Amino acid sequence: MNFYEHTLIAKQDLSTPELNNIEKKYEDIITKTEGKIIKVEKWGLLNFAKKIRSYNKGFYIHYKFEGENKTLEEIKRNSIIDNSLLRHLTVKYKKLDTETEYFKESNEKKK
Amino acid sequence: MKRKNNKFNKRPQNPLNKLSLFQKSDSRFSKKCPLSGKEAPVIDYKNIKLLKRYISDTDKIMPSRITSVSQNKQRKLTSEIKKAKILGLI
Repeated sequence: MNFYEHTLIAKQDLSTPELNNIEKKYEDIITKTEGKIIKVEKWGLLNFAKKIRSYNKGFYIHYKFEGENKTLEEIKRNSIIDNSLLRHLTVKYKKLDTETEYFKESNEKKK
Repeated sequence: MKRKNNKFNKRPQNPLNKLSLFQKSDSRFSKKCPLSGKEAPVIDYKNIKLLKRYISDTDKIMPSRITSVSQNKQRKLTSEIKKAKILGLI
């Protein structure tokens, strides 16, 4: 079992129930394939530095989980097929620090 | 004697360190790496404030001879900057 971080970028023009569905969908994928979710962060709407497929903004969802090769393959396969996602990225870590949140301040100001 | 002493004090560098006029001063190259040592900031693709310091105006990665980052940390920096570029953060 290893520690991983996974971030998704969803399209800008989605409604809130659709976003919650996406969040639930990937949580289920992790738990079904014998993984453990440690933390889920919502970074909210952020501006891109450059246009990605003619979009200027996107919703960021960030997962921190523990899992094996199975879970990684399932997540990658699903996020490539998914039409509502723009990009995704997984990073492997030896130790996860769950305390520091780099995007917390920007979310509080909007609320 | 007083005149001579004044002249000697005005010089910023110790003249004994230089062998000739054309030798470059050592002070320019004695800068330490800002990312290594104790209490150094964490290099991570989510830490955008730090990564933006090591990028030029046209989004190129700055060479280590300008920023004086050590070789080991420069390798980490490049990989983290590229990850942040994939996510569109930088």
